[in-house]
Amino acid sequence: MVPAVPPPVRPNPVRAYFGNIRRAVSSTFEGMTVTMSWLFRRPSTIQYPDRTEKPVREMLPETYRGLLEVDLSRCTACLLCAKTCPLGCISIETCKHPDGAREFQTFDIDNGLCMFCGLCAEACNFDALAHTREFEASVSSAEQLTVRFVDRPGRLVAKAKDLPPRRPRGSILAALIPGFGRRRRRAAPPEPPASPAPAPAAGAEGPENPEGTA
Amino acid sequence: MNIIQHVANLLIRSVFHADPASWPWTWLVQAVVIGIAAFLAFAFVAIFAGPVSWIERRIAGRIQSRIGPNRVGPQGVLQWLADGVKCWLKEDLVPAAADRPLFLAAPYLVFTGMFGAFVVLPFGAQVVAADLNVGILYLLAITSLVVVGLLMAGWGSNSKWALFGGVRSAAQLVSYEVPSAFSLLCVVLLAGTLSTQGIVAAQGGWPWDWFIFRNPFMFAAFFLYFTAAIAEGNRTPFDLPEAESEIVAGYNIEYSGMRFLFFLFAEWANIWIMAAISAFAFLGGWQIPGIAPEQIAATKGWEFVGWQALSWTIFLVKATFLVFVVIQIRWTLPRLRVDQLMITCWKYLVPLSMLMVLGVLVLLALVPEGGGADTILRGAMVGLGLAVVLVSALRVRRTFRVDREHYREMEGRDLWYPPYRLP
Amino acid sequence: MIPEPVRALLFYLCAGLALAGGCWVAFARNIVHSAFALLATFAGVAGLYAFLSADFLAVVQLMIYVGGVLVLILFALMLTSRIEEARVSNPTIGLVPGAVVLIAVSALLVYACVKEFGGTTDLPPGEPTTAGIGDALLSRYVLPFEVISVLLLAVLLGAVTIAGGRLRKPAPGGKPGKERP
Ligand code: SF4
Ligand code: SF4
Repeated sequence: MVPAVPPPVRPNPVRAYFGNIRRAVSSTFEGMTVTMSWLFRRPSTIQYPDRTEKPVREMLPETYRGLLEVDLSRCTACLLCAKTCPLGCISIETCKHPDGAREFQTFDIDNGLCMFCGLCAEACNFDALAHTREFEASVSSAEQLTVRFVDRPGRLVAKAKDLPPRRPRGSILAALIPGFGRRRRRAAPPEPPASPAPAPAAGAEGPENPEGTA
Repeated sequence: MNIIQHVANLLIRSVFHADPASWPWTWLVQAVVIGIAAFLAFAFVAIFAGPVSWIERRIAGRIQSRIGPNRVGPQGVLQWLADGVKCWLKEDLVPAAADRPLFLAAPYLVFTGMFGAFVVLPFGAQVVAADLNVGILYLLAITSLVVVGLLMAGWGSNSKWALFGGVRSAAQLVSYEVPSAFSLLCVVLLAGTLSTQGIVAAQGGWPWDWFIFRNPFMFAAFFLYFTAAIAEGNRTPFDLPEAESEIVAGYNIEYSGMRFLFFLFAEWANIWIMAAISAFAFLGGWQIPGIAPEQIAATKGWEFVGWQALSWTIFLVKATFLVFVVIQIRWTLPRLRVDQLMITCWKYLVPLSMLMVLGVLVLLALVPEGGGADTILRGAMVGLGLAVVLVSALRVRRTFRVDREHYREMEGRDLWYPPYRLP
Repeated sequence: MIPEPVRALLFYLCAGLALAGGCWVAFARNIVHSAFALLATFAGVAGLYAFLSADFLAVVQLMIYVGGVLVLILFALMLTSRIEEARVSNPTIGLVPGAVVLIAVSALLVYACVKEFGGTTDLPPGEPTTAGIGDALLSRYVLPFEVISVLLLAVLLGAVTIAGGRLRKPAPGGKPGKERP
């Protein structure tokens, strides 16, 4: 079907014509047998998210820049992160008690706005703000994209002198939003042993000798 | 007797206790029965188009080493329903600059053309909505409505991509009608009739009675017809009207929601129609091996129904197999360029199909049917067909085995994963 | 088989479709609409043929006129360069001469119909006509048939000559025959 690319010497047109027909037939035939053989091969993709060996987030590298979370027990409300963010995703409000202690009013991160550039986490000197490996952020309304980290009133701003150890990454987000990104998992279908004789239903098109020609 | 008359007469005798030949309302009952048959055919298009879209996507997935849709319902069998509901709920947009009446009417015209073809398809021994005695011409004629519909969609959208798609599609359909008509002419020459049922009746149940194995020219004509029909259906490798990489989506680009779905329906229905035409014109249609059509027609009551169902099943199996081939071709071959498309048609398919008509005529004159030469010819052609099947099976096996070794080395697993085990 | 009122209804449906399509072709302001309205006319005429038991003619009418002529017309329209001006492209000109021609032609037609058929005739029985047409074309009317083929061949050659004349001789180094004027 594909016309021959004209070679420098003009070929015999009759031979070229029938050569084209022969090539069209044989290449279509070849192609069909190849695609047919793919029907008997193991698909190389794995289905996300419930057929993978472990949750995808656990397969990601440690430095992955997923959803942001802040450990408020280490946050000094220095506002560095909020000022660094080019998009203004982070809004922090505090108020002062008469005794001098400061209390968080708001610490919101708008994931709908965030571009996961990592500048804010870079700016934080106290390892309070950090990226998690969480990325499955689909929610059913746009407001839910804003994560509110101040979970209870009267949460005091931390003192830089004595900071508690950083809580494990992702645990805060997971506690804050139950079910966030935790999808139902199905067991992978039972995998038959690796090299039994293939089922006879495949007929002539299936390989008869599983060990191959070895 | 036609099954519609049969059913109508049965109804008249049992319900109205009248003689169908002299009763004045026979035509009305027949009209109602025809209406019901038409509705069933319509439902068949809709119900067929859906699952085939799912099957195609699953097969495409396996061919591309993917999984394919398997979420809606068990193994995704209800995916097409979900898609249908989605399209149904979508907004039916009409572009502000569109030529509104044409834009709105085009999908229906396309669909009417496709649906009209179902009227003469011989589904079973007596199962055909209308056995016109110009059946095959009618099939060729009714698809021309589709061309007009596509042009209408292309023009009405008032978008250059849609216009390109429509014009391409029309050029393609008009060109490829020539080789497909010539190939079907071979069939008509052998059958001596234009009626679809007549063509099936001229063949037999066994492969050596099929037209494709009648002589070498018919064998070639089958493939010529199949190629031309794929092109007429705008399927890959001839899907230039919908070439995404060049003209986005072609004539249906401005459509949304249900109207868009109508175009897809027409496309799926068209696959079925071309497979059905190939099956009844070349592959013996509904003929049951070893049973003559007259024997079926002579049976009564449930036996009659049973034979009908069997013939219907045979036809469906043949056509569905061809549908599968069309799908596999789609995921095998790359798209042609426009000039290659026209070269394929006018320089290769048209002269070759004319040659096949001549060859069939010559053989018709030289080799009397039922003679010794005819028997030898048929036997040789059936042998050739078997050889093609066998060689392709061996090729598939060889390709698979070579890659299996590599796979085991690389992955430490067996490559074998049978098609019936759905991932 | 089908009673008289239903037949009449079918007839008027087909005839009405043909007439309405024709009027639309004539009166539409948009030339593309005119072309698409031809579809209705052709379909109506095909229905009339089918009604007259000329099954072959009906189907061929659909195939040639809808599948061939109409598509060619549309093609020509869509490939014209000043396509944007098609919105209002059927200006009304020459009303008076048009009316004169209309009256003259319809008078002639009505006269011919009345003289030839003189009222109603019985419909021919519904029989396959394909074989008869084939026999007639290849025996009694074989000469006109061949003359028409030769005419069509001449048309084809003429078209190729006119279209081919616009292709230049291959420029040195360029691909042969692919040069555009
Ligand atoms: S990751 Fe970038 S965009 Fe997102 S909150 Fe931090 S600084 Fe702003
Ligand atoms: S998260 Fe870090 S940078 Fe942001 S306010 Fe708290 S301590 Fe400062």
